[in-house]
Amino acid sequence: MKIVTVDLDRCIACLNCEQACRFHRSERHAGETANIFVSVDMQQRRIFAGTCLQCANALCLAVCPVDALSRDPLTSAVLVDRSVCIACGMCTVACPFGYMDLDTVSRRATKCDLCGGDPRCVQVCMAGALHFDSLQSIAERRKNHPEVHLGLRAIPDDGDALP
Amino acid sequence: MTHSAVIEKGTLPTLCRMCSNRCSIVLHVEKGELVDVRPMEGNPVNKGKMCPRGKAALDMFYHPKRLLKPLKRQPDGSFAPIDRERALDEIAAKTLQIKNRFGARSMGVWKGEAVGFLQQEEYVRRFAHAFGTPNYFSNDSACYNGRFLGHHLVVGFWNPFPYYAEADLILLFGTNPPVCHTPFMGEFTDARARGAKLVMIDPRLNPIACYADVFAQPIPGTDGALAWGLIRILINAGAYDHELVETYSTGFEAIARYAQKFTPDLVERETGVYADVVERIGNLVIDTRPKISLYMGAGLEHHDNGVNNARALAILACLTGALDIPCGLIWPEEMPRNRLTLYDEKPLDHEMPIGKDRFPILYELRRECHTMTAMDAMLGHGKYPLKGLILTGANPAVTNPNTTKVESALKRLDLLVVNDLFMTKTAQLAHYILPAATFLERSEVHIDPKYQRVYLTRKVAQIPGIEDEYTLWRDLAFRLGFGERYFPWEDETRVNAHILEPSGISLEELQNHPEGIQYRPLTFKKHLSRPLPTPSGKIEFVSAYLQEKGHAGIPEYVRPYHLRHPSKNYPLLLTTGARKTLLYHSRHQNLKHFRRVHPLAEVEIHPEDASDLGIENGDQVRIVSKIGALLVPAKIVQAGELRKGVVEMYHGWEEWRINFTTMDMVNDPISGFPLLKAVPVRIEKAGS
Repeated sequence: MKIVTVDLDRCIACLNCEQACRFHRSERHAGETANIFVSVDMQQRRIFAGTCLQCANALCLAVCPVDALSRDPLTSAVLVDRSVCIACGMCTVACPFGYMDLDTVSRRATKCDLCGGDPRCVQVCMAGALHFDSLQSIAERRKNHPEVHLGLRAIPDDGDALP
Repeated sequence: MTHSAVIEKGTLPTLCRMCSNRCSIVLHVEKGELVDVRPMEGNPVNKGKMCPRGKAALDMFYHPKRLLKPLKRQPDGSFAPIDRERALDEIAAKTLQIKNRFGARSMGVWKGEAVGFLQQEEYVRRFAHAFGTPNYFSNDSACYNGRFLGHHLVVGFWNPFPYYAEADLILLFGTNPPVCHTPFMGEFTDARARGAKLVMIDPRLNPIACYADVFAQPIPGTDGALAWGLIRILINAGAYDHELVETYSTGFEAIARYAQKFTPDLVERETGVYADVVERIGNLVIDTRPKISLYMGAGLEHHDNGVNNARALAILACLTGALDIPCGLIWPEEMPRNRLTLYDEKPLDHEMPIGKDRFPILYELRRECHTMTAMDAMLGHGKYPLKGLILTGANPAVTNPNTTKVESALKRLDLLVVNDLFMTKTAQLAHYILPAATFLERSEVHIDPKYQRVYLTRKVAQIPGIEDEYTLWRDLAFRLGFGERYFPWEDETRVNAHILEPSGISLEELQNHPEGIQYRPLTFKKHLSRPLPTPSGKIEFVSAYLQEKGHAGIPEYVRPYHLRHPSKNYPLLLTTGARKTLLYHSRHQNLKHFRRVHPLAEVEIHPEDASDLGIENGDQVRIVSKIGALLVPAKIVQAGELRKGVVEMYHGWEEWRINFTTMDMVNDPISGFPLLKAVPVRIEKAGS
């Protein structure tokens, strides 16, 4: 399967991805919260970005008490059925990375659905920090470019994401 | 539905013009309706990516508030629809009245950034001269020309955009490339991945400075002193390109002598950048030269000493040896083409182009009349009156300095015609408003000098009753009696063919290559085989041309206005114009998604300044300068984000026009640029 990953060394916090995601969601899903986030600490001059890894063994999926979450048979993304979600928040607690959210407008769980296999965020990442890759090619990239961070960590390592 | 795509279903490739970078995009059409915009592969400018501005092109095209019919001002001040043919007849009749009574030069034309450059600009320039007026105005009176002149006066050309990815050191002055020019982001990150160093000089911290090896916040307007300090370090270390200096330059001794007083200590006192930081930047330059991309933004030119600061930095770039190398000052080669301007065929220098007496260099090198002087001419204080103006895609009531004066000047006109997409502040003052076409509704030739590529965009959509720019100028030209002679081409396609004719590239070839065609392979170090396009054919550290015009030959550092005239009443410095990711000058603020991200104007203020003034985040404050005031909410930024004593506000808001406070009469002596980046102000808490 393919997932969206962030090459943290290339993220320059333009926020294109957050905005494209947010605009797309508000058009199609009556939502407001972007499912990819970029956080910038201007005081410390630090940038961190990340989005759902579509875990094979997804804890969000496992804990949902009403089966509002399911796998997209096409993309293997974990999807939220907003009409079923009861906004209990269990999934947001369960996600070890903080990539499951409650939408500020619809008040339902929200997460990256890979836009059905054509992620908007990747289209607009002009810095080349976002990739939509198979897990295998991510492993290849890591092996070949150990200097590149893929944003697979929940929190940035102290210092090393920055020069 | 009045809006329709030119096909029923399928895809239409074109170039995006939501900003000036022109990325390749593909419009998707279903049932005759444009439904999506996607990035297109194959164009090195955007490499298969695009940004959210481009994604919103359809929100602009289908915008419910778009002007769809010509409007005429009624005696009570309201607007009523008018038939297009009739509107053009009346406009032509009034234009001729002005010509008969005051002379052709009392009419002016003004082209804004929103319609673009190249042929869109040349239609307007052509129209002016064909009619008989030298008075062509544009947004360039306050953007880009300052840096254009700064480089031209040193090396005779300017290609603003280097190949950053090839650099070992990227040195940025007063600019925020990821936001201003989104396609360059990838080049920056490529350079970094190769281990390039980044130095950023800006009073405001932008996120890309998170990666800077050196980030320094100078006092606005003092960049020239820093440039001279770096020049001194290079010269005294002997670490400059000796061959370039000895064989291809003039005036080295003069700059070597002048630079001596700019010791790191003096630079620190003048700019506020610590002496050891100055030395560190100097050493980085020495270690990495000549593989240096030195890029300056509009942050440098909006000062009363802007051109000389830009010249000093261009000289620094030359000393490092970065002349006409991929990461450096690229000397672009033009595509052979037919120009539409009439400067050779019908020169009008003798007609006293407005502003030429005050800023002759701006006119001589750019054929640009000075918009701020034009306001005086409208108010009756010029050498002759300016009575009528036709504007297209321009919004000076928002973007020109001294809004109070701009509005009263525009109101004094006998005829103001505005061609635009929306009812802008400027359109509200017009006698006639014409509905303009977006970039999706026209076909034109685009040239990108960095990649030496040429593109042809096609009309992908239409709205009945809305005409492209060429048709507007042609229709007016025929009514004014010079259509047959000067606007003989029936439509844009024929103009495009005419422009391309000398290039050897046909319309058909370009149609088959929407991603563009390289018109000439890139070659570098061309100065080794032919003279530079300066008067001497060499790099001009000293400009005899400027001396002739009564200026210093070398770019002497002149202290900025606020240091020459310190004032207790106005203790803070206002910089305007830092870009927003989604807005583009005064464009796009009415797009619904964008407005949710940027709902309100804010003046950014340092936390210590805010606490001194008793201001809390979100408080309404009044920005007061010598010439005007504006009420706006305050945003307290983090301490590192702004230099203390500097406040910053976006320049394009229709509802919060910061140009009520900026100065039109403090100008750079060479470019005539207004002071927009270091305006002395005070901030008052509203109600106090």
